[in-house]
Amino acid sequence: MPTYAYILVSLALFFVGTSGVLLRRNALIVLMSVELQLAAGTLALLAFSRALGDQRGHVFAFFVMALAAAEAAVGLAILVSVFRTRRTANLDDVNALKG
Amino acid sequence: MNLAAHTASMAETIAFAILSASVLLGGLLTITRRNPVSAVMSLVLTFAALAGLFATLSAHFLAVLQVLVYAGAIMVLFVLVVMMVNREESTPIARQGLVTRAVGVLAAGYVFYRVAWLVARERAMPLLAASATPPVKDFGTVSSVGALLFSDFLFPFEAISLLLLVAVVGGVMLTRHLGEDNSFRAS
Repeated sequence: MPTYAYILVSLALFFVGTSGVLLRRNALIVLMSVELQLAAGTLALLAFSRALGDQRGHVFAFFVMALAAAEAAVGLAILVSVFRTRRTANLDDVNALKG
Repeated sequence: MNLAAHTASMAETIAFAILSASVLLGGLLTITRRNPVSAVMSLVLTFAALAGLFATLSAHFLAVLQVLVYAGAIMVLFVLVVMMVNREESTPIARQGLVTRAVGVLAAGYVFYRVAWLVARERAMPLLAASATPPVKDFGTVSSVGALLFSDFLFPFEAISLLLLVAVVGGVMLTRHLGEDNSFRAS
């Protein structure tokens, strides 16, 4: 398949992830939506990597994956910590730093 | 184009259509499910189909990593946290601040529409039209990506391992029970 088909799928997936981050209030679902956005970025990296015949895109996709693992670990730890003290996972109840 | 090549490209198109439809369907289910367990399972569907898409891009190493790391390890982590924090939402999308959020989603949708329109318009340019696997030997295999990782990208590779170590230690620090006399207590 041509590269632009992959880029369109990647764009659509990124839009779905952005909508999830903006619309949902459950912190767990928001973290999953961030994972969707990162996965969309990985797909675009790999598609352009094939189009250019350059494997450095694969290395960057690998780094994105490691970053996503670190982000999920810390994000879920914060979520568990907040749930333990506040008994809630709703982001509207945890907005003391809201500007 | 002879018949065999035509059949092969037809199969590739069908595989791409099924995989990308699964990716988008799984993503939509993830952000619409009320039950967090259903959302996690939809996310597993998304990541499994995404691994298939990576394989069609001849990114074999990354496809395997996607299944092992994402669909395996990270999803297990999410399921474990769902087990601890299992609250079904009565209102998944709160009424409060709905207008602001709707504006945000509309703005994101507009950006998506403009970029997708641009990509579709410029689809004839060489970078976007390239459809064949490049003539690089062993493209995307563990050995060739690993050789690159341990030569040109050795320093970033070590830095990312340090990042993972910091994330693990931070996760333990954030979730462990702290006694009353502990001055580390944040709240």
